[in-house]
Amino acid sequence: MESNLTQLWNTCLGVIESQLTKATFTTWFRNTGIIKEEEGVIYIGVPNEFVREWLMTKFNKIILKSIVDNANHIRAVEYVITSLPTPAAAPTTVDTLFSTTSDQSSGLPLQDVYINRDDNLNPRYTFDRFVVGPFNELAYAAAQSVVKRPQNAYNPLFIYGASGLGKTHLIQAIGNEIKRMYPEKRVLYTSLEKFMNEYVSSVQNNRQQLFQDKYRKFDVLIMDDIQFISGKQGTQDALFHTFNNLYDQGKNIVFSSDKHPNHIVGLEDRLKTRFNAGMTIDVQEPDMESRMAIIKEKSGQLAFPIEPDVLFYIASSVTGSIRELEGILNLINMHSGMRQKSISLADIKVLIKNNVKPKKVISIDSVVKIVSEYYNLNEEVIYEKTRRKEIVRARQIIMFVLREDFNESYPSIGAKLGGKDHTTVIHSYEKIKGELGTDPHLMKELEDIRIMFK
Amino acid sequence: MNIVCTTEKLKNAVGLAERMTGKALTLPTLHALLLTATGNSLKIRATNLTLGIEIEIPAKIEAEGLVLVKGEILANVCNHLSDASEVRLSLSHDNLTIESAHNTTVIKCLPPDEFPTLPVVDGEQIEIKTSVLQEGIRSVYFCAAVTDIKPEIASIFMYTEENTLVFVATDSFRLAEKKISVKGIPEISKILIPFKNIADILRVLDTAPETIRIIYSRNQIAFIANGLYLTSRLIDGGFPPYQLIIPKETLTKVVLLKQELLNTLRLSTIFADKFFQVSFAIPEDKKHITLSSKNSDVGSSISEVSAAIEGSPIEVDFNLKYFLDVFQALSGDSVVISFTQPNKPIVVKSVSDTSFLYLLMPTNR
Repeated sequence: MESNLTQLWNTCLGVIESQLTKATFTTWFRNTGIIKEEEGVIYIGVPNEFVREWLMTKFNKIILKSIVDNANHIRAVEYVITSLPTPAAAPTTVDTLFSTTSDQSSGLPLQDVYINRDDNLNPRYTFDRFVVGPFNELAYAAAQSVVKRPQNAYNPLFIYGASGLGKTHLIQAIGNEIKRMYPEKRVLYTSLEKFMNEYVSSVQNNRQQLFQDKYRKFDVLIMDDIQFISGKQGTQDALFHTFNNLYDQGKNIVFSSDKHPNHIVGLEDRLKTRFNAGMTIDVQEPDMESRMAIIKEKSGQLAFPIEPDVLFYIASSVTGSIRELEGILNLINMHSGMRQKSISLADIKVLIKNNVKPKKVISIDSVVKIVSEYYNLNEEVIYEKTRRKEIVRARQIIMFVLREDFNESYPSIGAKLGGKDHTTVIHSYEKIKGELGTDPHLMKELEDIRIMFK
Repeated sequence: MNIVCTTEKLKNAVGLAERMTGKALTLPTLHALLLTATGNSLKIRATNLTLGIEIEIPAKIEAEGLVLVKGEILANVCNHLSDASEVRLSLSHDNLTIESAHNTTVIKCLPPDEFPTLPVVDGEQIEIKTSVLQEGIRSVYFCAAVTDIKPEIASIFMYTEENTLVFVATDSFRLAEKKISVKGIPEISKILIPFKNIADILRVLDTAPETIRIIYSRNQIAFIANGLYLTSRLIDGGFPPYQLIIPKETLTKVVLLKQELLNTLRLSTIFADKFFQVSFAIPEDKKHITLSSKNSDVGSSISEVSAAIEGSPIEVDFNLKYFLDVFQALSGDSVVISFTQPNKPIVVKSVSDTSFLYLLMPTNR
């Protein structure tokens, strides 16, 4: 492996040397070398920041080309500063007291995230490493279809879901996979924020044409965190035109957001309809089994395996974002590394106590307050003995929520809500539950109410 | 490009930048200065790939543009323009024309797109008084190792201790440490500036305004002030844990007058052998110490220096040159020297100033 890389670099240097003057070549390529190759990224060691800067700005293209010509699985080149190979440390002449060799720190682990400069894609995000479960299988399938049949795929593909559920991973995987399967396609991954900043600076410098040309030359445009567009008129215009242009040429467009396009406040209708024109899919929170699968997948590289009971405990107690699970795995890795053994159930309980959300405690009164507010009723009327239709309805919903979400007992619910019999409560609960299946309005109302509890 | 600027400013900027061109490098582009005229200023950039500088001077820009010219030639021309207060620089057909009141020179240019950009440093930021940096560096830099065999000691080490900025340098024979208190300085765990760049950095600092902004990362540092961007490579290594070798206890302590000791050491130099060895003899219950040096070809010298002595008698030899070096950094009129054992380093300090410490290793007897 080692000598292969050296050989590869020597071949590349030969190619590069032929394209440059001798002085240029020796100045910029002396003391460079390939340090390692990891997941399609070649790391080139350079002596200092000056050389790094210039190789990146001036020679990146020819370096990448010469490497890819010789090793076509390489997707990116990164430059890292390495100290010059030092000759063997000279003996200390006077006294070991002044010896300076004791504190040679070994090289720090190189930074973990590598981004390709041309398309901003992080090569680590691939489909192989993406855990598919019921919560995201639809989004996964849609993403696959973009890769497999770009011509007649859903365009645009709009993926939304809460933070930390793997949207970025999924859409970057689309980019990486397309690059792998169709190397001639030009892919760009960017975030709305970047797009906006570039737009703003293009306006400042009077370079709108350049800006538009830049985005219109790509075959696949992937844009993350689109929700930040809300209220930004100019950026919406710019995105609208860019979108239309790419769409008309049959180029693929992928968006991600934390909200459904219809729920992005201040998004113009013409953009809303366009975002919805292709496929709009949400990514849900992973269920218990998926969480276990994710932890298993991510714990693969840990030095100490995680015991099944620990795995189960984490999956059952940490709900919500995958990012949080990753954080816990890092924590476990550090701890077991420090103690040189796998982590025990008792340890993990202490370790992640801050990540486990306590079961929500909420008083009956506050449920009454929230629901009556939602239905625009006075709080007191709920407790009164009245059979007015709208009040009965609200009361039934309160009972349902108390039972379903907060696990109150039927008798105690009845007692609190104006001395109702527990059978009344059971009846209300069953009634609402039955209606839920058939009444989409009721479903929406309950969803809204539940949001208010959070 | 077509601009007018004051001769004085151009001369100073070009003079400063020209010292940082990469004369030792084979690439002719790097022997040159890049002049960029935009807005209402002229930027002059140079780099030798360990240091890079960009100086901005005000200028009247009639046509923007950029030009790459040989640094040495431009600097020489600028040095001889002193009769005119203003000078016009214009570019035509790859030639830079420099017009002043009485003369016109034409310099051949190089293709400017081959000239590298300077690294932009992304890291911690500090605002600091330029004088603090100058004083700190000047107090210790003479101790730094001059060869690159151990890059971590061929450098000036800077770090903070609470509200104190500490400068250290050593070449493994002696060590200098200077502590300067700077209220509210953010924590710096390590900055290792290569010794080779120190002289140039000091020269630039001499022209810098009162406060300067520093941005540093693991490998690179930038000094930024109005119209000035200076960036240097940093050493990415660990400075030895030098605190461990500062002696904790003292067996013998000697207080001397600085000037008297300096004069005596200079006299001893005349008779020093090829190892520049001088012997210190500190007797018990006396009011003076004895310095002696001997060179079999020249002769010998024995001198007494009056001193206040505490502790047990001791005899130690030193390298004279190393001993003489410390005087450039010592303030006050009397010095205190602390000895432990004949083969352990001694500590030299000023009696009145505790911020500076010099550690010197005796030579083998």
